[in-house]
Amino acid sequence: MSAMVYGGVSQTGSPIGGAMNVFDRNMKRKQKQWAASLEDPDKYEYLKNEVGSRVADRVYDIARTFPLALDVGCGRSHIAEHLSKVGLLFLTDVSESTLIFHVLKPDGVFIGAMVGGETLYELRCSLQLAEIEREGGFSPHVSPYTAVTDLGNILGQVGFNMLTVDIDDIHIHYPGVFEVMSDLQAMGESNCAWNRKSMLHRDTILATAAIYKEMYGCDDGSVPATFEILFMIGWKPHESQAKPARRGSANISFGDLGKINQSPSMDKPKER
Amino acid sequence: MSGANVWTRSRERMKRLPELFAQCGPEATAYGKCVTATTSSKEELRKDLCIREFEALKTCILSAIKRNLKKKKTQ
Repeated sequence: MSAMVYGGVSQTGSPIGGAMNVFDRNMKRKQKQWAASLEDPDKYEYLKNEVGSRVADRVYDIARTFPLALDVGCGRSHIAEHLSKVGLLFLTDVSESTLIFHVLKPDGVFIGAMVGGETLYELRCSLQLAEIEREGGFSPHVSPYTAVTDLGNILGQVGFNMLTVDIDDIHIHYPGVFEVMSDLQAMGESNCAWNRKSMLHRDTILATAAIYKEMYGCDDGSVPATFEILFMIGWKPHESQAKPARRGSANISFGDLGKINQSPSMDKPKER
Repeated sequence: MSGANVWTRSRERMKRLPELFAQCGPEATAYGKCVTATTSSKEELRKDLCIREFEALKTCILSAIKRNLKKKKTQ
């Protein structure tokens, strides 16, 4: 997924310079390369394509054309496919997020997408219950997420202005938990956090399948998997940008909100 | 990685699981219900709480494997 920050951003919101080493980047590179070497890698790209087109939507929403754009972590150029209002587009590997800020021109914009906390909660819950019942304890199998609130803090600390973060939920239905896990693997999204367990017992997988189906199964026999995508937009500061107004400079009170409909200068509402 | 090794064999076995799992619907549901019942009741989920249901599920899977093997032999 584009602009997916793997290790450059601290999970706890502490200064970017002291980033925690959460992920085994070498392992992630190997996983991605394995996924790319599969027979039909395009088969598994549906999620990235969808997110890519939603990021491109947000580019279009901005009422400007951009002579130059940089796609960080572009994968198979899921975003570029949908863009035409950008003059030149460079596609690169994932890099640190602070670099993104420095590379931007003033009044430049950063549009990013990453997975949020609700992603794969069905899988997480089923795995957890299965592991408790089968093994007596559980360990994290899904990598830690960035909270929406942290995201705002991180982008603000780096120096971005006029931040917006919004959330899209994508629900994808699979025949069963085995397909969820093998698709995730084929997308190159297997767990690579240092705290991951190296084995998942067959019994536990079987138990997970039964629990997943019972807890979340749909009438047609399929099971859903949720991907919560956080979209973030941040602007590099520039004088032309709106700044928060000075404290005490308000000349309209919130109490006047109720009078909006009664404004005499408004036209009569048209008949629908 | 080239050649047959423990990972390719294990992956082959995993690929057959969905089909076997589909043949054991009732057992899977029984186990699933046993575990999910703890999320709403006061009883806490602990190890082997639903071992009977799980063993039934596992037995069903193993006999499904044997059935498939027999089918292959007679084909």
